[in-house]
Amino acid sequence: MRLFLTLVAILILGTMGASAQVTSEAIVLTGGPALRFMEHGKGEVSHDVYWFNFVDASVIRLDELKSQAKPGELVTWMIYRPAYVARSKEMGLDLIAQLTEKAKQTGSNLQWFDTKEQLISYLNKGQDRHKVKIVDFDYFGHSNKACFLFDYSNAIDTMSIVWLHVKDLRYIDDDIFAKGATCKSWGCHSGEEYSQWWKSHFDVPMTGAIGKTDFAHGGEPQLSNSDGKWTQ
Amino acid sequence: MKSISPMPRLIVFSGLLLMAGLVVNFSLSAEDDSPPVNDGKYIAPNGGPPPVAPPLKKGSPLDHLANDPKQPLPTVGYKEGHTNGTTYYLAHRGLDAQGGEGWGWIKKGDAAGSWNSAQWFALQETPGVAVAPHRKLVKNDADADWEYKFWGHFATYKAYDPHLDEQLTVFVLDGYEVIGQGNPLTLKIGPQGRIQHRPSGASSRPGSPILSDPGVD
Repeated sequence: MRLFLTLVAILILGTMGASAQVTSEAIVLTGGPALRFMEHGKGEVSHDVYWFNFVDASVIRLDELKSQAKPGELVTWMIYRPAYVARSKEMGLDLIAQLTEKAKQTGSNLQWFDTKEQLISYLNKGQDRHKVKIVDFDYFGHSNKACFLFDYSNAIDTMSIVWLHVKDLRYIDDDIFAKGATCKSWGCHSGEEYSQWWKSHFDVPMTGAIGKTDFAHGGEPQLSNSDGKWTQ
Repeated sequence: MKSISPMPRLIVFSGLLLMAGLVVNFSLSAEDDSPPVNDGKYIAPNGGPPPVAPPLKKGSPLDHLANDPKQPLPTVGYKEGHTNGTTYYLAHRGLDAQGGEGWGWIKKGDAAGSWNSAQWFALQETPGVAVAPHRKLVKNDADADWEYKFWGHFATYKAYDPHLDEQLTVFVLDGYEVIGQGNPLTLKIGPQGRIQHRPSGASSRPGSPILSDPGVD
């Protein structure tokens, strides 16, 4: 009996040890909102009336990922911080504290980034990529067909000062993804060009939208246009 | 009857507790995984009420922008922000017919006369200190070909214009003074790298211009 209990204990402790060791990673990448100052008076094309449009969608995805995560899978949430700092100042709210709390609630590994270089550095070296491959990647934020725009109309009206262009993909190691990894950009137009560059560089498909996507109604973003579609 | 010694009993208890925790955690995670209904209204992810922004702060840059009266043209001699420095730049407002968001041309303040040394740039405003002169105008483009003294500095980073897939030099504005309306310039519009548009200019792939609006939401 004592031997049996000891074996059970070893099994339980062994399982706990194994689950603590990170063996794979899912990443949710979240861009920032525009300032209302920049978007004032633009009517129907005024962006980001709701400051957490990208965040709420990200949280839904994080919850999905956490519920589906296999033992040893780390769920990481990367957020472009300066845009939320600026929007906090504009609104008189501490959005950074709210984001930190949301990350805690989702049980995700929060990684702020301020620059493209910091983002790339985490993707390449944030974990030991020889052992910890990325199995899932989602992007929520502004985009056109050639770019993820982490900053948009926040520092400069209708422009970006921090972005990841298709030409920047070459700075990311091409072996960071696991075979069969699932990647999706929920932003506008990614399927029109970004997805092709992504597949070419990483040899992993990335689902992206043909046309615009809509974050304004809560939940997961949806295609805006009737002729829009998801593609790889 | 043989009793279990205290240590294994503790381990068994811990194991049971751990398993119970896993079961509870799984059942919580499995709840409410039906897709959200979307009838066009905003639905907060946790089912709560729609978000409400705090009231506009009186005296904030957004308050001024939204509520100050607008004028048809700039007022000659008007100053805004920090305008005491001895180093300033001359700026000429230009409009990009290709739809680019660059502000116009800028050159050093001591480069009087010719605008040949000027460069096309993106204007980074400093809300609360100095914002683009057109913010005071009824129409955004009403100050086309107007000239200003600009105080501020060039940023170390570039701006990306998603409409034309090109990068622009950034000038961070600390203050300005309205000089007056100038003559139209015959300089090339756009950053140095811009290909003469057929119809849209520089792109991520030659012959494949980026015309997509980046907007979401």
